[in-house]
Amino acid sequence: MKSVQVEASEVSKGSSSSQSLSRGLSVIDFILRTLASFGTLASAIAMGTTRQTLPFVTRFVRFKAVYKDLPTLTFFVIANSVVCGYLVISLPLSFFHVVKCKVTKSRIILIIFDTVMMALLTAGASSAAAIVNLAHNGNTNANWFAICRQFNSFCQRISGSLIGSFVAVVVFILLIIISAVVISRR
Amino acid sequence: MKSGDSTTIEVAEPSSSSKGKATVLVAPKATGWKKGVAIIDFVLRLGAIVAALSAAATMGTSDESLPFFTQFFQFEASYDDMPTFQFFLIAMALVSGYLVLSLPFSIVAIVRPHASGLKLFLLIMDTVALTLATSAAAAAAAIVYLAHNGNSSSNWLAICNQFTDFCQKVSGAVVSAFVCVVVFIFLILLSALALRKH
Repeated sequence: MKSVQVEASEVSKGSSSSQSLSRGLSVIDFILRTLASFGTLASAIAMGTTRQTLPFVTRFVRFKAVYKDLPTLTFFVIANSVVCGYLVISLPLSFFHVVKCKVTKSRIILIIFDTVMMALLTAGASSAAAIVNLAHNGNTNANWFAICRQFNSFCQRISGSLIGSFVAVVVFILLIIISAVVISRR
Repeated sequence: MKSGDSTTIEVAEPSSSSKGKATVLVAPKATGWKKGVAIIDFVLRLGAIVAALSAAATMGTSDESLPFFTQFFQFEASYDDMPTFQFFLIAMALVSGYLVLSLPFSIVAIVRPHASGLKLFLLIMDTVALTLATSAAAAAAAIVYLAHNGNSSSNWLAICNQFTDFCQKVSGAVVSAFVCVVVFIFLILLSALALRKH
């Protein structure tokens, strides 16, 4: 009888240490989610408030640049806004996971949505990065002129707004990995 | 003493002082389900290899030379001309190489349905590969969209009007890469479902 009781207490101690690890991972998940929501919000706002008007007129380029002129940058703003909204909505669910560590079904729903949102965010960020690269360097083979030569502050703004988005992509990778580790430990 | 659905700890006769013997009984239904998921995972991986390889190959062989020349345009176009397309080619080649290397791990996961460390490793690497593939596909899609439509605000002309074959091949490569991305999402989904311990 005594050996049974000793074994029972050992089993419960093992499960509580794994539970504390799950709880720690859930807390890290919550913190990373708030970080990613700030990153995407900052990117969307930084890209959405771009506007530069040149004081002169040239032959080749229009004298006003807004993010709406390039449809890819519009997609970037929309993708970042959608992902920011998703992250804000998923914060209560993540907090629920901190409180109750043993649920797996809602964690699986969370990991599915995280994967889809990560794909959307990566698509928006990398397509905007391609356009920003084109704006900086141009392309002589396709006769595409580098508009950054004219629009300096517009260019700086659209380049800087990519940073928050890419940081959020890395954070999403970590979120997916954390959710998978917690699911597999249960 | 019973703890959990699938584990039975049998305690020896009370007179002996030996430790209890733990035998793990697994319901056959759980093993069959996990094996089915692992087989679907393997088949999806094969499909993703086909998609990624075809995307890389189509982009790599997309050279086109026009039989005439005009004042403004060069008379040949290839993926070399755009750094974005070079990145696309390298990234899709890396993704297809990773997928080929992950096939043995997937086979091992079929044979041993309860190796959760292996599945977790596959899921982590799949996430990284998904990011790379999505990034390459989206960047190339942005350039292809620009090539199709041009942009009047920045005076970027639509080069697809001249280079129709090049444009078609490159667009096909982008579509194939997005198919690969969708397959990756399903792979991650399946791995997450299979990681559960009942």
